[in-house]
Amino acid sequence: MISTTMIAAWTLVAVAFFALVILLYVALRSRARRFDLEKADLEKAVQAFRSLDIEAFRNLVDSAEEAFLRDNLSPKKFREIKRQRAWAALIYAWEAGGAATALAKIGQAAQRSSDPKIAASGVQLTENAFRLRLQTIGACFHLLTEVVLPDLRSPSLPPLVDQYERAAETLFRLGRFSSGRHGLISR
Amino acid sequence: MNWHKVLSLVLWITPHVLLGVLVVVLCKRRLYREFPVFFAYVLYEIAQFILLFVLYSIPGTGKQYAYAYCATLLLSIALRFGVIDEVSKDLFRESQLLKVSARRSLQCVTGLLLVVGVLLAVYAPGDNSGRWIAGVSVVNRGAAMVQCGLLLALLLFSRFLGLSWRRSTFGIALGLGILTSVDLAMFALRTAFASWVAVEFFNLLITGAYLVCVSIWIGYVLALELKPASLTVVPHDEVETWNTELQRLLKD
Repeated sequence: MISTTMIAAWTLVAVAFFALVILLYVALRSRARRFDLEKADLEKAVQAFRSLDIEAFRNLVDSAEEAFLRDNLSPKKFREIKRQRAWAALIYAWEAGGAATALAKIGQAAQRSSDPKIAASGVQLTENAFRLRLQTIGACFHLLTEVVLPDLRSPSLPPLVDQYERAAETLFRLGRFSSGRHGLISR
Repeated sequence: MNWHKVLSLVLWITPHVLLGVLVVVLCKRRLYREFPVFFAYVLYEIAQFILLFVLYSIPGTGKQYAYAYCATLLLSIALRFGVIDEVSKDLFRESQLLKVSARRSLQCVTGLLLVVGVLLAVYAPGDNSGRWIAGVSVVNRGAAMVQCGLLLALLLFSRFLGLSWRRSTFGIALGLGILTSVDLAMFALRTAFASWVAVEFFNLLITGAYLVCVSIWIGYVLALELKPASLTVVPHDEVETWNTELQRLLKD
């Protein structure tokens, strides 16, 4: 019979191997890609902003809508629909998170500007983007719980998702601001 | 002297000679100001090697060597935690928010990993019947697990938040990450296979990994820091508009 020590040893060896692979992957990737701002980051952010439809997202996480569906659908059908809605909202949150990450990179690059005004704005932009990113990570966890446990009742939207709604709204507005311009970066 | 002993000595001595080179590079580039704990760790590793090598060379000092090894190893583990802390501070340097929230998350990760380490030490202590080395292996296994997990968490945070690493910081984290992951695997196997043959073999792998780790540190510290691209033509209003919009969102 295999002892606990032996199981623990081989499990830890597997974990260590996994960690080593991740480290080497990150190291090789960082060699291939320069640690600076890429134009693609900005384009990615703008594209993500444009794709965010706040009304659609609001509808997906609306508790009144959920209550209506719960009252009018069979439990099995309700679970199926709830899963689909939560999954769609999760994709929204994920996209917004990606946009916030790109925004953070833009902010960090702005911080290094020789113009003190741009540098100061970059600091603020970075802070706000990080905050937004943290909120979307929380929202993703919440929505993932709803995908796994669709019967879980959430009478009102938790603050996390409320914050996400506001985040998505702002990002949408930012997307519209940027749509008429030719990009923000030049080297 | 057989080939195994020669290889063991080469793999034991070479990384510490290279650590001497690393000290010179750190001093020349004045990086000891930015990474004081890492600098102290490197100096400590050299001093530890000198002490252990002297004890190893004097016949009849096996017991003293064992005690010195245990004591110095514990301090080395503590210093490695300090280096990881230094790396995380440098990574979160550009954001006041992350200094608080991300570091709090890191503390949670540390707590979780410590619990797992203690549980493993209790439920899978390995073969420690009268062999001090097995006990040390369990402690080192737990520490390596926590440190490796912390470094992976840092990599994940930087990926998810879009943080940019400085080259030297990334090199320190990468080298330490490789070292701790190999340590984790080897000390986990040591607790399960405590025969002298196995221990000697694992020692070779650990010293080999240490050589790789020191080479990475030197490589990254010697490499010039990439000059990051900066936004030069972005009108100030543009960035300000983004800020205002995001702040309106976050104030509500």
